[in-house]
Amino acid sequence: MMNKTNHNSPRLNLANYVFRPEFSSLVILIAMVVITAVLQENFFTIKSIVRNINAFAPLILLAMGAGVVIISGGLDLSAGAALSLFTCVLTTVMKRGEPITGVYAIIITFAVAIMVGVVNGIGIGYLRIPPVIVTFATSYIWLGIGLFLRPTPGGESVAWFRMFYNPAMVDGIHPAIEQFGRVIPPALILVLIACFIWFIVSKTKTGRYIYAVGSNNDNAYASGINTAKVQLLACVINSIFIFLAALFFVGQNQSGDARMGDPLTLRAIASAIVGGIALTGGRGSVYFALVGALILSFVNKIIFFANISYAYQTLVSGLIVIVAIAAPVAYNLHSSKED
Amino acid sequence: MILSGSIFFERYKKIIVAFILIVLLFALGGIIVPNFLTVEQVLFTLKLASFTALFALCQMIVIVAGGGGLDLSVGYAATLTAVLTASVMDGQNANLLTAVLIALVLGSAIGLANGALASFLKLPPLVVTMAMASILQGIVNAYTAGRNITGRPSPILATVAAKSTAGFPNILFVLLAITVVVTIILNKTKWGTILFGVGSNETTAYLSGINVKWVRCIAFMVSGVLASLTGLLLIGNMGIAFKDMASNYVMPSIAAVVVGGVSLTGGDGNYIGVILGAIFLQALTNLLIALGLGDAGKWLVFGIVLYVLLSFYASNRRSR
Repeated sequence: MMNKTNHNSPRLNLANYVFRPEFSSLVILIAMVVITAVLQENFFTIKSIVRNINAFAPLILLAMGAGVVIISGGLDLSAGAALSLFTCVLTTVMKRGEPITGVYAIIITFAVAIMVGVVNGIGIGYLRIPPVIVTFATSYIWLGIGLFLRPTPGGESVAWFRMFYNPAMVDGIHPAIEQFGRVIPPALILVLIACFIWFIVSKTKTGRYIYAVGSNNDNAYASGINTAKVQLLACVINSIFIFLAALFFVGQNQSGDARMGDPLTLRAIASAIVGGIALTGGRGSVYFALVGALILSFVNKIIFFANISYAYQTLVSGLIVIVAIAAPVAYNLHSSKED
Repeated sequence: MILSGSIFFERYKKIIVAFILIVLLFALGGIIVPNFLTVEQVLFTLKLASFTALFALCQMIVIVAGGGGLDLSVGYAATLTAVLTASVMDGQNANLLTAVLIALVLGSAIGLANGALASFLKLPPLVVTMAMASILQGIVNAYTAGRNITGRPSPILATVAAKSTAGFPNILFVLLAITVVVTIILNKTKWGTILFGVGSNETTAYLSGINVKWVRCIAFMVSGVLASLTGLLLIGNMGIAFKDMASNYVMPSIAAVVVGGVSLTGGDGNYIGVILGAIFLQALTNLLIALGLGDAGKWLVFGIVLYVLLSFYASNRRSR
């Protein structure tokens, strides 16, 4: 799939900057924040900011994961199903009243997360099946396992798991941690962990290889890069980010659900695209996937304030995806006609 | 054209594999589950499989046209049609024509939107149709929010989709007719040649003067129309329309196409194989339900079957 780029265009006019996806996504984000601040009273209080971070964090984490996979030249349609699976595993391993099971649950679910990433990565990287179709297949594997563990939403969770949502809700917690949690919510820390992981990865060879493999798989292979391994690593990183989101979800809801993640799949991909990550791979910034996720979350908030029925939410997010992926292409078609 | 034995095997290898899989599955089911191999049970399996096969036809046409085509919006295109036409038909045969017209208009509009975005703007079809599915789902949700879906299918539709003639489900005659028409169109007419040509080699098709983009766009429109019409048959079969009535067919429709040996890169495929794929999946579902594994087992096994078959059929390893 070739895409026309105006990357090396000699004309350095304003349009070249303004129509860069990153720039426009920042402008849109600022506009969204202003609109929301106008609509919502006391938007800038700590309480409201914490509440927003909690509401936005899962999508942010999934969007960053989707960003990594898309940059590596893949696409993950199984993200939502994987998130659901992780919540099911967590709540199956944990036994209420036995705090130590929480630790086991985290270790086991982390292992499951690595395996999920490896299975996707083998399909995309080693077997070289088109990413969309192989992750479509794996999404049903995750759904099936999730339904085996949790036929209906529910399950047990240890009390201290609320740490990942709101430390103040855990009995007997140190007051200092409680105060800290009021200002810096755990959701923010999870997002920062994801950012940190990507920061480290992006400074290593692997980070550069992910971009190289995504922009041209054959060239990267010919330059001696183990493309399959790089794509597998991208899938594993994605899976770890989804795992972080699962910790937050179980902390918040204290239960697992084999279908709760489904709507997030498309929204995570949309966030990455809105954040300016090219679906053709190799271009964009994972941090801007975070910006994209914020934009989509604010859109949801504005829909809420505009009193539009919840029923329209899937409709609107579908429309946003189409506009978001069509706009850059349409612009390129337009500008190539000028030349 | 006379095919020698080995070429015949090479050409129909995947269909033969699908057929062997079905035979094995029925044999296994017959051994494990009592009553699995009775005539009624087999006919019932075929009836259920025919709906999957109809949705798989939508997928097949889009996939054969190439360009990484896939249509995830078939489920909600069918659901939306069923929900909208339920009240229009209102159990009257006189209103069936209106319902069919609605299905045709709706289906071609959805297909045109998919095709325009995927083909003319060259956006990834899977993302476009997934987004289209959530738009249609949103419309269905908005339409059904706070009200009951009233209306019943017209009696003719119910007879065609749900009833049997001498123990033989009528829908199988429909499927048979469609199979004949599709096979003739794909193999004996100019349209089939163009569709396969565009799918197998875009450049040669373009150089032969074929408007590749339009052909792919039309493939999406055909898929949309067929999905909408299948939605009509679904409401005929079920008697009522509800919010998620067709969403469970999307995954099997794609799996059936893969099992049936249609190349995901386009330009190759046979509808008979796709029907065999649908039958295989339905028999598999029945077996899993009979073993008490339910939904969880069904989706898990479907996912694994699809993954394994993809690693044989869709793997690109050999190019290096």
